[in-house]
Amino acid sequence: MFRSIFLKTLRDYRVAILGWGIGMGLVIVSPMASVAALISTPAQRAALAGLAAQFAWNADPIAADTVGGYATFKIGIFVFLICVWPLLAASRMLRGEEDRGSLDVLLSVPRSRAQVAVQKVAAMWTALLAMALIIGVLAYLGGRAFKADFGLDGGLLFGLDLALICAVFGGIALLVSQFTPERGPAAGITGALLGIFIVVDMVHRVIPNTDWFSRLSPIYYYNLSKPLLPSYGVSVGGLLVLLGLAVVLSAAGIWLFARRDVGATVRLPAWPRLPQGAAAPVRALPATDWSLRSVYARSLGTIAWPTFWWTLGFAAFAAWEIVAVHQLAGKLTTILASDPNGRALQVLQSVGGKASGLDALLLGALFELLPVLLMAFAVTQVNGWTADQDDGRLEIVLSTPQPRVNVLLGRFAALATATVVVGVVTLAASGVAIAVSGVSLDTTNLAEAILGMIPLGLLIAAIGYLAAGWLRTAADTGLISFLLAAWFFISFVGPDLKWSEATLRLSPFYYYGTPLLHGLQLGNIAVVVAVGAVALALASLRFARKDIAV
Amino acid sequence: MTAIIEVKSLSKSYGGKRGIVDVSFEVAEGEVFGFLGPNGAGKTTTIRILMALIRADKGMARIAGRDCWDDSVAIKRLIGYVPGEPALDPNLTGGQILEYFAHLRGGVDQGYLKGLVERFELDTSRKFRQYSTGNKRKVVLIQAFMHRPRVLILDEPTSGLDPLNQLEFDNLVKEARDEGRTVFLSSHVLSEVEKTCTRVGIIREGTLVRIGDIADLKDIKRYEITIHFARPVPAEMFARLEGVADVEQLEDGSAVRLAMQGSADAVIKAAAQYPVVSLTSYEPSLEDIFLRYYESDGSAPKEAARV
Repeated sequence: MFRSIFLKTLRDYRVAILGWGIGMGLVIVSPMASVAALISTPAQRAALAGLAAQFAWNADPIAADTVGGYATFKIGIFVFLICVWPLLAASRMLRGEEDRGSLDVLLSVPRSRAQVAVQKVAAMWTALLAMALIIGVLAYLGGRAFKADFGLDGGLLFGLDLALICAVFGGIALLVSQFTPERGPAAGITGALLGIFIVVDMVHRVIPNTDWFSRLSPIYYYNLSKPLLPSYGVSVGGLLVLLGLAVVLSAAGIWLFARRDVGATVRLPAWPRLPQGAAAPVRALPATDWSLRSVYARSLGTIAWPTFWWTLGFAAFAAWEIVAVHQLAGKLTTILASDPNGRALQVLQSVGGKASGLDALLLGALFELLPVLLMAFAVTQVNGWTADQDDGRLEIVLSTPQPRVNVLLGRFAALATATVVVGVVTLAASGVAIAVSGVSLDTTNLAEAILGMIPLGLLIAAIGYLAAGWLRTAADTGLISFLLAAWFFISFVGPDLKWSEATLRLSPFYYYGTPLLHGLQLGNIAVVVAVGAVALALASLRFARKDIAV
Repeated sequence: MTAIIEVKSLSKSYGGKRGIVDVSFEVAEGEVFGFLGPNGAGKTTTIRILMALIRADKGMARIAGRDCWDDSVAIKRLIGYVPGEPALDPNLTGGQILEYFAHLRGGVDQGYLKGLVERFELDTSRKFRQYSTGNKRKVVLIQAFMHRPRVLILDEPTSGLDPLNQLEFDNLVKEARDEGRTVFLSSHVLSEVEKTCTRVGIIREGTLVRIGDIADLKDIKRYEITIHFARPVPAEMFARLEGVADVEQLEDGSAVRLAMQGSADAVIKAAAQYPVVSLTSYEPSLEDIFLRYYESDGSAPKEAARV
């Protein structure tokens, strides 16, 4: 695997190919499992189709009463989840290597810069195709298990459609990274563009005659194909547009890379450039900087910006859900009134939990994602902790008279603070949204639902810290990402597969329950806290005794 | 003088791979001790055990009478440390890094810290990632010296420094020595150790092979002279000269390679009796010295030799 840059890069992606391929495959299979129970009678099918039509902003509600159609519909805007990997990988591909200084050596081999970049891009595309293959096969197997009417070709074309949209966002990240001095901003800007493009695509499903506008988004062309729906099929034109975009964007990125200074950015015209710092050397020291006073303060300073963006995303998502619920409730009331057998309500309850209030019921369905996202935030922070160990950044910190346990706990305390900030701000934003939209909701339950996510985030972080006692960054992040996907699968698919209570108890989401509807069960959440505390204590013990960066 | 660093029968392996084997030495307080060895010899492993970053499989390591692992926090109050491969938060400026470590060490004399920044002419406003290799090294050196530690443990500290800053570093080491502080300095550059250290230990393949005063290093500080003549010369003539340790006849006898110790005066005068075509002098690397002195007889010493 070390015979070429292509093979070496592909080798670097091997864990991601398996992790993301299987993880995303499970995410796609999970709605197939749940829909089987929702479409057992014609009345239920009609109710589900009617319900889906109210959520058209999410995805085209085409044949939502079939396994393939429901899976396509349910994945909807969650395409962002799948695009995260190529976005991170492409921003790391050249800019990340420049950050580490490893590109200098690579460019000293007798290959042109363009050749180096092309081989790296080719490796990423190959990795995406491998992921697509895994996702396609899992989708096919899931379809067979739940009696879907699409075949292996449908599953594989679905994977191909995903691979192409991922390649487009990989191309955007590669292009953007030519203009940013570090890989972080490149990933951030591409992530923001991904969000914007998802919204742009949504517009034509909500506002009539705006197709022309949505065509500006690559997501639009991704959604033109619905291979899991044999009656709808694949848009060859859509796939070709995605392929063309991926090629053009990647080629532009490579072209700019081949012409700029290594370690520098593409020079922009004067007006959009940031002001330059003072040319004269500075000898002053920031003696009053609060973020330099302790490991805890430094850790807090380090995660301040990521926390800010995640908090903004959480608060906006939660507030948007509440406002969306208010708008949906009116329409759903009409559907429910015209459904004397209450099939639509059954469908909704099976998605969002048992509740008498329509607002709470709808929010229960929508809020199920928030704890998963908070745990994903914790996973990113665990990644930072293990990377600091692997890269030797703790070596000088540990040469100061700080007990090792204090270093670990200081870091964890900063993460805990960040999750509390995320929770509190999200709660405040939700409160404002409730007041503005007039949604009828038990505010105590809302507070418990949002603040109850914090122990879940800290649990996965503690497990990640514990695993970091033995594992390197990629393995540790892969392990806890897989754990998160497995928990998600157990809690959201397990009940439909009639898994035993003992199995369902393996997932922390079981203990989280449905607090928006039924409040937080203190006994259950105490279990999560206790397991997290034990994991953190063991992580501290291990870190105090382990060899650093060996 | 009392020993401030005591290492006895220290061993460490990484899985099945050799780290260090049965290493023992002492460093007296106020001493500048050089720890010499080629790459991969075990210098960094020894230092990382002293710093409690890794744990020895067996043996004892103590600083100021305390066990390096069990009392690591107390020991680190006394130490300034430069790692072999320094890695710091790339998003912090040099100034922020220095202030951060000043706080973690319980505060430092800001006047002294500013003085060090001036001496090394460090621009504290740039992010660590933007520094050149030499400037990164300056930041790491300043953080090691800024709290005037009783013991300085420096792993190849001048790697990447330009000659002017190397001079500044030498001055700092001399100041530390004059103030009675101890410096433990690892290097694979013989001349660097020779400049700054009073005593040295030499480690090779994980084993301490030699320890003693710097003056006693002369016997291993050999160099070579190769002389080409216009016609064959009697090589045995050079063997008897002062400073010649070994003679090798080359080509058809019209060239000699001499292993030298000390002055070359006698050799130059003897060579001048014949028509000299060329004369080249070569100072062997430490690696060459090791190869010659510890492998030429086919048996590397297993225990440290006192000179």
